[in-house]
Amino acid sequence: MPRVQRKRWMFVSAGGLALAALLAFLYVQSQRGDDSNYYENVGLLRQLKQVDAQWELDVLRSRMGINADYDSLVNPLVTLTQLRDRLQDVLTHRERAVGVEGAFNVAIAEKTRLVEHFKSHNSILHNSLAFLPTAANDVGVVVARDGNAEGPSARRLLADVNEMLLLSMVYSHAPTADKAAEIQSRLYDLDAHEKYLSPEPHQSVDIFASHVSTVLREQPVVSELLKSIAAIPVAARVDDLDQLLSEEQQQADRRAQEYRRYLLILAVALAALLLYAAVNVVRSHAIINRVNRELHATNATLERRVEERTRDLRAAQSELLTTARRAGMAEIASNVLHNVGNVLNSVNISAGVIGTRMRESKVEGLAKAVGLLNEHAADLGAFLADDERGRRLPGYLNKLVTILEAERRGTLDELGAMTKSIDHIKDIVATQQSYAGTASVVEVIQIQDLVEDALRMNAGKLARHQIAVIRDLAPLPAVPLDKSRVLQILVNLISNAAQALEGVADRTRQVFLRSSMASAADGQWLRIVVTDNGEGIKEENMARLFVHGFTTRKTGHGFGLHSCALAAKEMGGAILVHSDGPSRGAAFTLELPVALAKGAP
Amino acid sequence: MVIALLASSPALAQSLDEPIRPVPPSAVPAPARAEVGRRLFNEVRLSGNARVSCASCHDLRSGGVDGRDHSIGFEGKATAVNTPTVLNAALNFKQFWNGRADSLEAQINAVVEDPVEMGSKWADVVRLIAQAPEYQVPIRNAYADGVTKANLQNALATYLRTLTTPNSRFDQYLRGNRAALSDEERAGYTKFKQYGCIACHQGANVGGNMFQKFGVMGDYFAKRGNPTKADLGRYLVTGEEADKYVFKVPSLRNVALTAPYFHDGSAKTLDEAVDIMFRYQLGRVASKEDKSAIVKFLGTLTGELSGPL
Repeated sequence: MPRVQRKRWMFVSAGGLALAALLAFLYVQSQRGDDSNYYENVGLLRQLKQVDAQWELDVLRSRMGINADYDSLVNPLVTLTQLRDRLQDVLTHRERAVGVEGAFNVAIAEKTRLVEHFKSHNSILHNSLAFLPTAANDVGVVVARDGNAEGPSARRLLADVNEMLLLSMVYSHAPTADKAAEIQSRLYDLDAHEKYLSPEPHQSVDIFASHVSTVLREQPVVSELLKSIAAIPVAARVDDLDQLLSEEQQQADRRAQEYRRYLLILAVALAALLLYAAVNVVRSHAIINRVNRELHATNATLERRVEERTRDLRAAQSELLTTARRAGMAEIASNVLHNVGNVLNSVNISAGVIGTRMRESKVEGLAKAVGLLNEHAADLGAFLADDERGRRLPGYLNKLVTILEAERRGTLDELGAMTKSIDHIKDIVATQQSYAGTASVVEVIQIQDLVEDALRMNAGKLARHQIAVIRDLAPLPAVPLDKSRVLQILVNLISNAAQALEGVADRTRQVFLRSSMASAADGQWLRIVVTDNGEGIKEENMARLFVHGFTTRKTGHGFGLHSCALAAKEMGGAILVHSDGPSRGAAFTLELPVALAKGAP
Repeated sequence: MVIALLASSPALAQSLDEPIRPVPPSAVPAPARAEVGRRLFNEVRLSGNARVSCASCHDLRSGGVDGRDHSIGFEGKATAVNTPTVLNAALNFKQFWNGRADSLEAQINAVVEDPVEMGSKWADVVRLIAQAPEYQVPIRNAYADGVTKANLQNALATYLRTLTTPNSRFDQYLRGNRAALSDEERAGYTKFKQYGCIACHQGANVGGNMFQKFGVMGDYFAKRGNPTKADLGRYLVTGEEADKYVFKVPSLRNVALTAPYFHDGSAKTLDEAVDIMFRYQLGRVASKEDKSAIVKFLGTLTGELSGPL
């Protein structure tokens, strides 16, 4: 059963776990469409676009000379890279994103490259353009210092330089191929002038020319670079990313929507399950209540019945007690009668002996002798002297006296025994009175005599069952005891021993009697042990041995030992029992406290 | 775009003040990491034979350079280019003369394994540092995951970011202290702008934020002779024809301390360097006085690295 129960629990737990997992899964999936992430990324993209636009603007400002340094062209790249890296965290493992992002990275790299070139070329262009007026002026100054300023070639030179300066400035603002070609041809012209110049003006014209050609060279490069930079579709790539992101978001939204629907379905299912469980609980609650009520009713009935039964039992018990008491009385009566019978037997024997003695008494001889004397009253002397019978008469009388004396002694003895037996009968009757609660009568007695009396009172039984009685009676001082109670106990114990030996056939039936006196802390204790080698006592009966009404005999009433124990207790003592088990015999010990009376002999 | 232009005009006015801006005050965002970086900077075990450290060539007591045309690598071989200073390197937009490293970490990564410079392997460096007892505590304080290649590079880069030199006299001038410069130095700055040096040497680092061809207005290399591979500059990185002889414009911060000059160390003095710049970059002729004033001005760009340099 517990195994089945455990299995069921495991099943239920697994089911619960699975449901919880499903719930958690659906919840997480439904949260996937979380907008905050998306908006953060969109924000990131906006920022990217803004930084990119700012970058382009800064390029234009550098071109226009508003930006005095290029730090502002370096910093956007750092920001862009950082933003891109943050974006990468979001996009990395999405296949489509890789392509779009790659394109974005290529765009940034290309733009970076172009901006680097722009910086290099723009700075040169700027320097040359800024220097051209000074260079032109320098040419004038040097030519004037050379002293040829008024010469026609010098004038033409200065005019050419100034014109070229103008052309270059115009070109720098509106570069066309025509203008470039014209400046180029003018440069050749300038070259032609140079051979008429002395070294110093020559050098200044060279410088001017080199800067003009620098402008000519760098202007288209810078313009081209600006065009290329503007053409780099960073913004478009950002838009691509934006679109990708929004598509993904929509997809995620749809998926989340779907999962939310599943979640709803699951929730409904769970609610239904809960409802079902609730209904079940309510129903089982009702069942439990009903069963409880029934149980209560049954209990009440049961209690009533138990009460009735108890009452019956009590009645039966009291009846039994009465019966037992009656039986006890009967037992006592039969015991008394039996004992009395036993003693009466002795009385009878004594009476018989006395009768026989009386019948066989030699008193008749005395009467004959007296008759003979009466016959010869006149001549008594002669008769005694001369008559043969007379002569023998004194001898006969002497003999008769001896015989009669012996006769009388024997009869007196027999009468003594009879008297004693009658005393016992009196005692037995007194014992019965002790059961009836007669106050104990303590008298100083010889233990040995008491034991002998008890044996004698069981003599018939012992003789009938051919039981050998072995005595180990220590010579003990006379002690004050409730004689009748002690005798009653001993008679009972010996009687029990005799009965325990009834079924024994394989060994000499023996009853062993031992008496002793011992000193203990609480005074002197008399101990009389009645041991038999009879049927023994079963272990399980040991405890109930002294219980009223307990017996192992068919005809027993379970009163004897009970009354013995009671009597012993009344005297402040106890009866102990010991048996090694069935057919191992038993030993009953009567323990009694004895007060060695001060005046005791 | 017009709106953006208008919106940013207040910032414009500020940026127009001067094309050069003061070095931002150096901040140490991660002192524990910078400390590890400081130790590594002086660590010879970074080189293949434990002979040279970063500090061997980048001596902080002499402007973050060693004063040689070409530094001597771990095996005694001369490096391909002149050693640029580590001071304010963090303000450069790219590292190395040809700008092949986008970050300080990348620069460190390259130098340690460079067959001439340090000739080591990062795996060995990581192992050696991990075994060095004196690094245990500092690294544990700085990095949760202990000694890794990335952490060592980060530590060095963090340290290099602390090596900025704010508060030069010129920066003081930029901040409004006119008296920080003498009349001649102020005149030198004016010339610096007038002649167009400022076209490339601008920004907070007075350079270091763009590439430029060496020899815009004349063929420097033909004049110098002995062309080397390193002379190709950025071309070695991009392979673009237009990038031949293009180099990162070096920062002029602390320039008075970092002779010799140029990627080839060919200019032994500032005067010489200024001459060459006029000749090949500006294509102009300047008076001795003007050039001397400019050199004087360049002297005011020397900043402080926990005390005057």
